[in-house]
Amino acid sequence: MDRQSQEKLSEVGEFISEYSSHMIGCGVHTSRVIRSAKRIADTFGYVVNINVYQKTIILTVLNPISHEHYSEVKDIPNLPISFEHNSRLSALSWETYDKHLDLSTLRERYKQIISAPSVHSFFVLILVGIANASFCQLFGGDALSMGIVFSATITGLFLKQQMTAAGINHYIVFIVSAFVASLCASTALIFDTTSEIALATSVLYLVPGVPLINGVIDVVEGYVLTGFARLVKASLLIVCIATGLSFTLLLVKDNLL
Amino acid sequence: METFWKTIAEYNSQTWGYQLILILTGIFLTISLLREPKRWNVMAMKIFFIVLYLWIAIVYFYICCAERSYNIVMSIFWVVLSVAWLWDLITGYTTFEYNKKHVKLAALLIIMPLLYPVASLYRGLSFPVTTTPVMPCSVVVFTIGILLLFSRKVNLFIVLLLCHWSLIGLSKTFFFNIPEDYMLAFASVPAIYLFFKEYYFRHVNKESKPNIKYLKWLLILLCIAICLILMGTMFVELLVDK
Amino acid sequence: MMVFNILTDGFFAALAAIGFGAISDPPLKAFRFIALLAAVGHACRYCLMNFLDFDISSGSLVGAAIIGFGSLWLGKRVRTPMTVLYIPALLPMIPGKFAYNMVFSQIMYLQSLDIPAQRAIYMEMFFSNTMVTCTVVFMLAVGATLPMFIFPKRAYSLTRQKL
Repeated sequence: MDRQSQEKLSEVGEFISEYSSHMIGCGVHTSRVIRSAKRIADTFGYVVNINVYQKTIILTVLNPISHEHYSEVKDIPNLPISFEHNSRLSALSWETYDKHLDLSTLRERYKQIISAPSVHSFFVLILVGIANASFCQLFGGDALSMGIVFSATITGLFLKQQMTAAGINHYIVFIVSAFVASLCASTALIFDTTSEIALATSVLYLVPGVPLINGVIDVVEGYVLTGFARLVKASLLIVCIATGLSFTLLLVKDNLL
Repeated sequence: METFWKTIAEYNSQTWGYQLILILTGIFLTISLLREPKRWNVMAMKIFFIVLYLWIAIVYFYICCAERSYNIVMSIFWVVLSVAWLWDLITGYTTFEYNKKHVKLAALLIIMPLLYPVASLYRGLSFPVTTTPVMPCSVVVFTIGILLLFSRKVNLFIVLLLCHWSLIGLSKTFFFNIPEDYMLAFASVPAIYLFFKEYYFRHVNKESKPNIKYLKWLLILLCIAICLILMGTMFVELLVDK
Repeated sequence: MMVFNILTDGFFAALAAIGFGAISDPPLKAFRFIALLAAVGHACRYCLMNFLDFDISSGSLVGAAIIGFGSLWLGKRVRTPMTVLYIPALLPMIPGKFAYNMVFSQIMYLQSLDIPAQRAIYMEMFFSNTMVTCTVVFMLAVGATLPMFIFPKRAYSLTRQKL
């Protein structure tokens, strides 16, 4: 009995399209997604080829013996970045490959992974506050600026979390939260402290590090189009941060000179 | 520092009549909310907050404190706060439902604005060079008190902005010598604790990452750390005074 | 004093990395390794820049390469891809001060269009800050990705369970 007859081509194809679009959606760089998808298809004796765009993926799963194939165009869901999904889904592909899991077990594991809770928002809030405060220290800020940055970051990040949950356009979210965070930080001006550093660090929690680095990786690995798409997205977000920050700077610029 | 008290004196002598009206409206609305929150007084309270914050932003910071540097930043800060209340008014987020759990602390906070001038007088200052209930810091204390008294469902963004303000207030005590503001800073620590607890840990799911137990400890640690820093600065200031 | 400076630098970099990592929902086991990598990488850049007169971009390249190799080595322990460890660990090295000056000088340039002398100053400031920011960010990405191309086989099988 050949491997191909164990699972239906269309079912494997549907699973792979869901799996890879989810991975792209939660911030995994392109080559890893394609490798993992190929690995899973290989387990069932099929061959998969994927074309990744910014908003959709196109894939064809081929049965090399009977020459049947299954094609699908799938929208990439708009998910928050998740390293947990990234590593557990990659591990799942290896597990499938090494232990020859059948499709129903694979689906079950997949559901388990994507329905696990993500990091608690309160935990994120406090940790990011501390992170930005220590950033301020790294740039040479003193204790008072650190305190102000801590509180400004928490306020801005909370606003960002709330606005994201309310489904507001994320460019607007970035502009508004950068503005609020930097406005809070600019209150440091009334004191004799390193207020410029406080202003500079207060918006850094918004920097889209994951798409930036993923973009570079994609470009270097030859997925130039997706790489540039990611870089453009990231730079638009950075422009939004700069816009929010510049509202504050325009208000206080006379005092900074 | 001298400009600071000078602007306060000017503000008080020019606007004491309006301030009185605002205080009386505040007292009236608080009492009516305590009796029973209805649609009209919930709306009225929010509108009162919007007006009060705009008052602080425009009359206090923009006009009366024009002499102080950076008054624009402060002014915009309070405008942002009043926009937050406006958003609240439109979406009807805060319901002002009475929460019996924290009555004592809330009552203390609500009465505190009235204690501000008393504290000033006790320190040997005389009107108009005193703190009054319609000043940023006392307004912050009052709002935190009201929100705590009706803390079923609270707009945490407003609370965070207010707490940011009280942090600044604390640092200001250091630079401008206004010990009254220690009350503000100390009052905001238990308030932060209670608000966060109500907001994040009321509906506890079984699963969370990391475990909910650790998150509660994190919150407690955070409050202890803030308290320690407060006490530390107070101690340093006492030493400097001597 | 020197050792103390290096240690505090590493410590705060670790705190920053943990926080920036938390935004992207990493596995809980990965946190300590993220912190370790960030501390080592940032302290290394600090040493290079302060004691060996490296400029910020080559310092960042070396720091990022160390983080990259470290993530290749540690990734096997938590069975997680390299990117999960090194992206948060790189973030404390982002040149925030230069990025801020870039925005600031841009605004000031637009504000002083009528004053040629000031305009030139802000133009120069804008270009030098942009140059530093872009180069450093690019160096960070390249330095950390380098190990992935040198050891592709190991990098691609980090999440595989030992059989």
